[in-house]
Amino acid sequence: MTNAIWVVAELSESGAPLDISLEALSAAQKLAAANPADITAVVLAGSNTDLSQAQNLLGQYGATKVLALKHDLLEQYQVELYTKALADAIGAQQPQIVLAGSTSTTRDFLPRVAVRVQAGLAPDAIDLAFGANGQLEITRPTYGENMRAVVHTATRPQMVSLRAKAFAKAKPDSGASAALETATPDLSADMAHTKLTQRVKGETKTGKKLEEAEIVVSGGRGLKGPENFPLVEGLAEALGAAVGASRAVVDAGWRPHAEQVGQTGKTVSPQLYVALGISGAIQHQVGMSSSKTIIAINKDGDAPIFDIADFGIVGDVFEIVPALTKAIKEANMAAC
Amino acid sequence: MNIVVCIKHVPDTAHLKYDAQDNLAQDNLEWVMNPFCEYAVETAIRMKEAHEGATLTAICMGGPQAKDILKRAIAMGCDDAVLLQDDAFNGADPWATAQTLAAGIRKHVPNFNVLLLGQFATDSMSGVTGPALAELLGVPSITFCKKAELKDATTLSVERETERGSEHYDMTLPGVVCVMKCDYEPRIPAIKGVMKANRTEIPTLDKAALGLSDEQIGAKGARVEVTKLYRRPKKEGGRKIDGSDAQAAVSQLMSFLREQKLV
Ligand SMILES: Cc1cc2nc3c(=O)[nH]c(=O)nc-3n(C[C@H](O)[C@H](O)[C@H](O)COP(=O)(O)OP(=O)(O)OC[C@H]3O[C@@H](n4cnc5c(N)ncnc54)[C@H](O)[C@@H]3O)c2cc1C
Ligand SMILES: Nc1ncnc2c1ncn2[C@@H]1O[C@H](COP(=O)(O)O)[C@@H](O)[C@H]1O
Repeated sequence: MTNAIWVVAELSESGAPLDISLEALSAAQKLAAANPADITAVVLAGSNTDLSQAQNLLGQYGATKVLALKHDLLEQYQVELYTKALADAIGAQQPQIVLAGSTSTTRDFLPRVAVRVQAGLAPDAIDLAFGANGQLEITRPTYGENMRAVVHTATRPQMVSLRAKAFAKAKPDSGASAALETATPDLSADMAHTKLTQRVKGETKTGKKLEEAEIVVSGGRGLKGPENFPLVEGLAEALGAAVGASRAVVDAGWRPHAEQVGQTGKTVSPQLYVALGISGAIQHQVGMSSSKTIIAINKDGDAPIFDIADFGIVGDVFEIVPALTKAIKEANMAAC
Repeated sequence: MNIVVCIKHVPDTAHLKYDAQDNLAQDNLEWVMNPFCEYAVETAIRMKEAHEGATLTAICMGGPQAKDILKRAIAMGCDDAVLLQDDAFNGADPWATAQTLAAGIRKHVPNFNVLLLGQFATDSMSGVTGPALAELLGVPSITFCKKAELKDATTLSVERETERGSEHYDMTLPGVVCVMKCDYEPRIPAIKGVMKANRTEIPTLDKAALGLSDEQIGAKGARVEVTKLYRRPKKEGGRKIDGSDAQAAVSQLMSFLREQKLV
């Protein structure tokens, strides 16, 4: 086995690596600094996909090599084909560690890859370190975010997916570059038993992806009705934030499920999370408690959201939020 | 048409109890059907109702108390249930769990068409069991499903939710779907269902009946080992101010945001 760390990198439609993949690459750099290893970014792509932009950026974020698994059948994600392509490559090259961002894609196919290469997989990690014996010690949330587990796996490769925003993105090194190695996986169309028939773009109004946003502003039942959500959107816009929602308002049909934060919605870990008129039920906390800084505005001083808030205002969202939005806009102007 | 749903018995994470050292008070936990499994059961029942002659079986690997949730599944509308129970299953990770469930399915419902699971168990928060089980059984899988309906006897139409929106798939059966929150809520068992559940015998299969060796199951079969489990650290030094004077409160908040370099 070579002492290699692989990072499975996902690309956006424009061909650039997703932020979450660059975060995973940055985490790999930290590991390699503690225990020298080659870092390979693995990209699965169609035969004719142009990877020059991805190769550049992946190099700047620490990959010494980009391994491109290219095939006509990999143009679009498909669970069985992606599983086979990656599992075969792992089998052939035997990296010690395989990291990836925790996304709906990697959560879909990495468990299958792990079974195929007979390795242990720890999903949705929030911290990584080498233990005394050189094995990865992986911290991940459990029990509805109330507990943390430290886990390890004795099998190789050690496979880990990393929660979005839990790992800082390193500064890119514009002088660094990665070599490109292309391989053609052995695939055929009859291996696939699922077929994409339609794709519908998410309905988040701001167009910002919740999981990738540095700031999230969420609204709850305290907003009283869908007609008042422009208050939430206005603050979000001033902060450059994505809009989130509690389940109560999603179930009431005020906001799309794509915006729901919590146990049965999305998990976010932004730099700043602002909860407006949200009580902070444990199921909501599951989705946001690992945010770096939490601000809560709620008129009930006993609301559980204040237990986890760094800064709380006991007050009326209809009075506080307009004043806050104005103050932020003024601060933005002053900074220009 | 054989539909199977795998359900997990989990501590209610909204009401966890801790001992003086902040460890989980294992003997004091309240146990429930994993919330995502409730959605899986509901989706499975809707599928069964829409396909005449279909049968629906619930499977759980767990301790003797886990029979409670299998009874609940029957009360909701499953036809029968089986409990995979053996002390040797204790300490399983999702991989060892998938091995055990695969053996249970091969033994009890070898000709399954659709296999449903919850997307995550709220205790492990892993989401690994479903796709791992599909891989072991050699069938396709789709995660993050919010809707799954039979198109015909060999095709399942599935809607899954991603970061970018939703995707619609056709899956050739047999196959596995892992169910998220749906647009509909799990039904509450009616009295008639509860009575039926009380009459239904739930068979138990142990490791010998499943032909499993110790290396495949429980703590020994696990690939991911937990070395430490501790309570989430509490937030230190949170501040809470009175907001009856909105302007004053906002200017305090703005100084906080500046201190934290967030504006
Ligand atoms: C299995 C399960 C899964 C769940 N999953 C999720 C999930 O993923 N996400 C989620 O969010 N919830 C989830 N829930 C629901 C959760 O338990 C709560 O019911 C929900 O989060 C409450 O939403 P809320 O805070 O908006 O509403 P409420 O609990 O009704 O709170 C509204 C808050 O607004 C405050 N308020 C009212 N008026 C004002 C005002 N003018 N100014 C300021 N504050 C005001 C009130 O004091 C109150 O605290 C789940 C529940 C279950 C059982
Ligand atoms: N012991 C178990 N018995 C039955 N089903 C299980 C068990 N453990 C996990 N599952 C299924 O796998 C899903 C995901 O669990 P997990 O991989 O632990 O997050 C659950 O929602 C269940 O449907």
